[in-house]
Amino acid sequence: MKKKVLSVLLATAMVASMAACNNGGDTNASSAAPASSAQGGEQSSAAAPVEEAPYVLEDLYITVDGTVTANVDNRQDAFVEQWEAAVSEKLGHPIKLHINQPDHSKYADNVSQLLTTGSVGDGSYPDAMIMSATMFRQYENTGILWNMADAYANAEFQSRITLPSINENMKTKNGELYGFAPTYGNGCVTYIKQSWLDKAGKKIEDIKTYDDYYNLLKTFADGKTYGVIAAGFGKLDEAPYINYMPEFWQDAYPAFYQKDGKWVDGFQEEATAKAMDRLAQAYADKIIDPDTEGASTKIAREKFFSNDQTTSEAAFTYWAGTWLRTLTNNMEKQEVDNELGDDRLVQLPPIKEIKDSWGGYLNREAPVWVITDDGDGNNAREQAIFDALLETMLDGDTVQTLWTYGAKGVHWDTKAETFKTNAGTDKEKEYTYEEGKFHLLPTPNDPNSIWKKNHLDAVLVIAPLTNGYVDNDELVTKGNKFFTENCVDAPAAAACDTLTEVNADMTVDKTTLLNTVVAGGGKFEGTDIKTGADAIAAYQKKWGDTAAQILEELNAQ
Amino acid sequence: MSKKVTTTSTGAEIRHKPLGMRIWNHRGYYLMFLPVLIYVLIIYYWPMLGIRYSFYDYTLKKMEFVGLKHFQSLFRDRDFWRSFKNTLELSVTKLLITTAASVLVSVFINEMHNLTVKKGLQTIIYLPHFMSWTVTAAIFTLFLSTSSTGMVNETLKSWGVIKDSIDFLHSTSLWRPVFYLVNIWKETGWGTVIFLATLSGINPELYEAADIDGATRMQKIWYVTVPALLNTVIIVLILNLAKVLNMFESVFVMYNNRVFEVSDVISTYIYRKTFLTAIPNYGYTTAVGLFKSLVGCLLVLVCDAASKKIRGRGIM
Repeated sequence: MKKKVLSVLLATAMVASMAACNNGGDTNASSAAPASSAQGGEQSSAAAPVEEAPYVLEDLYITVDGTVTANVDNRQDAFVEQWEAAVSEKLGHPIKLHINQPDHSKYADNVSQLLTTGSVGDGSYPDAMIMSATMFRQYENTGILWNMADAYANAEFQSRITLPSINENMKTKNGELYGFAPTYGNGCVTYIKQSWLDKAGKKIEDIKTYDDYYNLLKTFADGKTYGVIAAGFGKLDEAPYINYMPEFWQDAYPAFYQKDGKWVDGFQEEATAKAMDRLAQAYADKIIDPDTEGASTKIAREKFFSNDQTTSEAAFTYWAGTWLRTLTNNMEKQEVDNELGDDRLVQLPPIKEIKDSWGGYLNREAPVWVITDDGDGNNAREQAIFDALLETMLDGDTVQTLWTYGAKGVHWDTKAETFKTNAGTDKEKEYTYEEGKFHLLPTPNDPNSIWKKNHLDAVLVIAPLTNGYVDNDELVTKGNKFFTENCVDAPAAAACDTLTEVNADMTVDKTTLLNTVVAGGGKFEGTDIKTGADAIAAYQKKWGDTAAQILEELNAQ
Repeated sequence: MSKKVTTTSTGAEIRHKPLGMRIWNHRGYYLMFLPVLIYVLIIYYWPMLGIRYSFYDYTLKKMEFVGLKHFQSLFRDRDFWRSFKNTLELSVTKLLITTAASVLVSVFINEMHNLTVKKGLQTIIYLPHFMSWTVTAAIFTLFLSTSSTGMVNETLKSWGVIKDSIDFLHSTSLWRPVFYLVNIWKETGWGTVIFLATLSGINPELYEAADIDGATRMQKIWYVTVPALLNTVIIVLILNLAKVLNMFESVFVMYNNRVFEVSDVISTYIYRKTFLTAIPNYGYTTAVGLFKSLVGCLLVLVCDAASKKIRGRGIM
């Protein structure tokens, strides 16, 4: 036993000595790091100009989320090959593109790991990456992102930008720009199945208010079918939080947001309490599918267009534009309402309560591309990344087409050809195109569906293609037009030190409280929760002081 | 250097050669051992250097020595203690229940005489073990759903047993029973392997003697089978006790916000703090991991002592 005690003591001593030994070395690291982190964002604009050596970027490492749809299952190799050829030609030297595409649902976690544990020069450390607006706000002031304000101002695509406000609005008050949005954000609209509307004897024009919507959904709430499904009663970890159930949330915004020029905590507002009570009532009335609480977006989608419509739902709020086509196609695949063709789904104009509060559906803040700063005081590497990646991404021609539609001959083409989808079945469809006509090809991993797009949405992009390659899918155009006519910009995401530190725990508690209220009540850390007001009281008890601290920091910015 | 001298119990003196000379004399063996030593150092010990981060603030571009700050924070965190308590309760209860179920099923299978049925049954109950926890959770979530696709609730409703669906997976009072049941379903079969091996090694003469004494079947089970199994049961319990803090996957795929109070365990707590935080402090989560490892070490020592007492030899 003595030996074991001794070994435990020795192990403890070893741990302590390792910590102490490394203290010195890491102190150096930490003293150097803040210097770069503090200056990183300001070097290009505030610090004295540093003589920049010519920089030849031979390898470009990017980390992307699922919005790059030309993934490894969909011939990403062809996209990369054509990108390398086109960009090498533009730059005048060979360049290799390395794409790291983690699982979309775990993207933020993966990025956080990459950035914390890696450093510039590691194979896995991204030179550039995609960030959601929320992520971007959290990383914006950390010093790891490069201020691309000058590069953006001098970019060739400036002359073709039709929506300059998107990136201008992202600049800090000092004029720094740490992220670049090639498209605007897009948002969600509510889709209702036409056949279900018909069954209820209603027209979409009849649904004008919350009561109209509620009564329509109630028609289908018989315990087998439901009114609506979503991925959660509210997606409190992803801005704009309320866009999957906008009719129930109405004027509530359960996060920190700016109201009349001042930051407020929306979760503590009465509007949030009322929204939770509305959701609870709808849940109790079996209007909301109970699977909503645990459903991922994939599960919610699949249940909505499921082959078994006897356990499905009437309404589903989801992304606008291309998704109208995708949802319709999926219904077709599942043989749901085949006789309605492309009219299977109707888009619900924002109800009165949404119009009166926000003005329309929320157009989320655009996801951005960011470039990592190596903190060496020299912008050559970062500028080279900007030139190779972002400058070419909106070149209006070859490379922009790659990012918009994918690889030529694989995802799209202009040659004369004829192909079929669902060949040999009663759903067989033939497509014929003449020489020179731009058209999309069958999806590589699903040859019975036509490819839709790659990363950039041709309709949402801030500098349109100049080569005239446009996908003329009427349904997609109709979806985009509907959203553009019925949307308003979502509130800007909040970011400050305390919020970044506690946001995950806070979100977990807010979601727990929301779910508890909606599902009919329960206990939260020993307190009985039944109504929205109870939930807010419990939140204030636990997080009140922290929220006040966050508001103080936000309002001091 | 003079040779070290030791005296044996018979009074004979043994002169040891110096260590360096002994190593040189057996250099062939040491050379053969060297790759293993290097492998062990690199694969097992080098990563352990990472535990030093528990004494640092380790976030984006920041590595700063903070001493015991993270340990102080975690000891003050209510959620940590909740997860610690849940880990012990869930693991120990699960261990006892699944072991008891395995013993019962083993005895039952052992009593079966039809070899085909016996083998078939064994195969069927082994199968769930090979199913991943993700798939298992998806199946049970679907079965227990409160929506109209939930088989269990719909069946109970159609039989008139219940009027409204029961929210099995979101209820703090029902989540643990469901969790234990799923564990029994998944792991009982696999748990029987070791017990069936023990049962097959019981001397048949003991049963014959019991028959001669007029013992009934139940008496034979109680007085012959069970005592023969007892030692194995204790060993299984002891060996598994050392691993009780490692619970993660089974909980992670089945828990949800509304049942954190009864389901959140240390590993899921670490996961949330590390992967769901926008800019995590790896120092803090390493500190939680280190604390967990130290408690795990302590449990191993306890189990070792228990093993020595019961079996006459330790587990290390």
